[in-house]
Amino acid sequence: MSETMNIEDYLAQGGVLTAPENVPARYRGELLRLMSSFVDSELAASAGFADSINFAPAIRERIAASRITLEKADHAERVLGVMGSFGTDVLRYQASHDWSARLPREADLGTSRAGTDNRLAVFHYPIAGWTDAVVMNVLQGLATGVQMTELTRLSYAPLAEVFREIAPREARHAELGLEGLERIAARTGGRAAAQASVAYWRPRVATTFGVAGSARYDTLRKFGLRHAPNEDLLACWEGLVADRLSAAGL
Amino acid sequence: MARFHPLKVTDVRRETRDAVVVTLRPRDEDRDLFDFTQGQYLTFRRDFDGEELRRSYSICAGRDEGCLKVGIKRVDGGAFSTWANENLAPGDEIEAMPPMGKFFTPLDGAAARQYLGFAGGSGITPVLSIIKTVLAREPKSQFTLVYSNRQINTIMFREELEDLKNLCLGRLSVIHVLEQEGQEIDLFTGRIDAEKMKGLFTHWLDASAIDTAFICGPEPMMLAIAASLRDHGLKDEQIKFELFASGQKGRAKARAVSKVAVVPGTGVQATVTLDGATRNFEMARDGQTILEAAIAARLDAPYSCKAGVCSTCRCKVLEGEVEMAVNHALEDYEVRAGYVLSCQATPVSARVVVTYDE
Repeated sequence: MSETMNIEDYLAQGGVLTAPENVPARYRGELLRLMSSFVDSELAASAGFADSINFAPAIRERIAASRITLEKADHAERVLGVMGSFGTDVLRYQASHDWSARLPREADLGTSRAGTDNRLAVFHYPIAGWTDAVVMNVLQGLATGVQMTELTRLSYAPLAEVFREIAPREARHAELGLEGLERIAARTGGRAAAQASVAYWRPRVATTFGVAGSARYDTLRKFGLRHAPNEDLLACWEGLVADRLSAAGL
Repeated sequence: MARFHPLKVTDVRRETRDAVVVTLRPRDEDRDLFDFTQGQYLTFRRDFDGEELRRSYSICAGRDEGCLKVGIKRVDGGAFSTWANENLAPGDEIEAMPPMGKFFTPLDGAAARQYLGFAGGSGITPVLSIIKTVLAREPKSQFTLVYSNRQINTIMFREELEDLKNLCLGRLSVIHVLEQEGQEIDLFTGRIDAEKMKGLFTHWLDASAIDTAFICGPEPMMLAIAASLRDHGLKDEQIKFELFASGQKGRAKARAVSKVAVVPGTGVQATVTLDGATRNFEMARDGQTILEAAIAARLDAPYSCKAGVCSTCRCKVLEGEVEMAVNHALEDYEVRAGYVLSCQATPVSARVVVTYDE
């Protein structure tokens, strides 16, 4: 049998943790922060999309919006379950914030937190109509796809497994958005409206990747909770957005 | 929150010189709660001189054995494992939480799969549960176990594995790797490291045929095996880990409390440690939580809900006294050990020392 080693060295070398009992204190704090940010963002996204169901122009779009609303809540529940294994009171947690609360459309948060929950700033902005909902979903959906390349390989195995289950369904949400966007762009006046929404959402989604040279990134990387820096993920997303928007004729 | 339930000890069998296998029976009304999945573990608690210790041990029984069994290997200086090895006897009662853990994959009676397991020392316990359950419930599947130990007389479940091999002819193979004893084949002597993994994959294991690999053991062994499995084309979702951390927290130290008299009208001297860096500052006596003060002092302290619910902001009080407004996340034993939710904690003493690093 091999010798044992320091848990920080183990993590720095790509080691995997498997239960709340073998998680160091600082790792625990960062892991819970990461999970709560995901849970709050998914619940806020679901709550925001619930309104979009009634903006939907046809049954097909209505079903797509309903599915996104449902599945984002389901994903939040799965990750909240992992938080529960660390002691989070999951029933109280779900009721502790108003997930549909939004700031005024012209508010400018940058990367800062607002309100009392831990959602990404982009989920504080209100959606204005169907085209706006579709554009937001496409841009944020592509961003989630990029974030998933990190989340599915993070060092806390029970959570990485949940993300690996979630990732294909989140990818499907972005695809549903792209299908909707193509239909919008093909309509008279659709392209101009979509472009206006892209101009609104693009910088706001970009800020979800955080700042370049983030100090917290170093901590997270040491713990195996992150692998690629913010600026790389942002660049990857920008490339994807440029490709997909031009494919959709925007 | 999961609760503890009493389990009756029905048998204690000495497995090796420093390991016992304990058979446990839940109360009738708790039977469903303790219906485990192969590879899961139980968390026990017991009071040692007024301090609660919690320890997790993997279930080593298969799902079809109709009983709960855990293997407990004595760790040097380990209060719980020593007590279990030396004092636990049939008829005793011990408190445990229902089975937890995700060290398993769903089984399918019609599937013909190839499993590969790696166990280091007492890391065999959950792997044995998986082996027994797979052999019973997936009659067409095969399991190869690579099992590493110091020497022959420290091998847990050696006979049981032999019996299983004979019972399920051709479906279970076991490769023993012994650190301190020479074997006929050099490859099977020493520790499982990158070099040994290379040898195993060259002569004994076919990576392309493996559906799922299970690894349970100490940190360096997990690293070497996981890296090798990935090099041989296994994807993350095909590799299941169970870490037997050497660093299961030792005996919880009592909270250090200094009762310095509070001088009215002055602030509180706060010392906060985060990521190895310690900062001293004065904080308001009223209306400011430890978390708010730490953030105001530009410490990037972790937090989320700020409602005493999620426990992201947990820290430990090393000196002084604080009071929590609400606590929905920490259990009594954590509070007794000095942990507080910093989003809910305000100082009571004139000086507080807290850390987010412990």
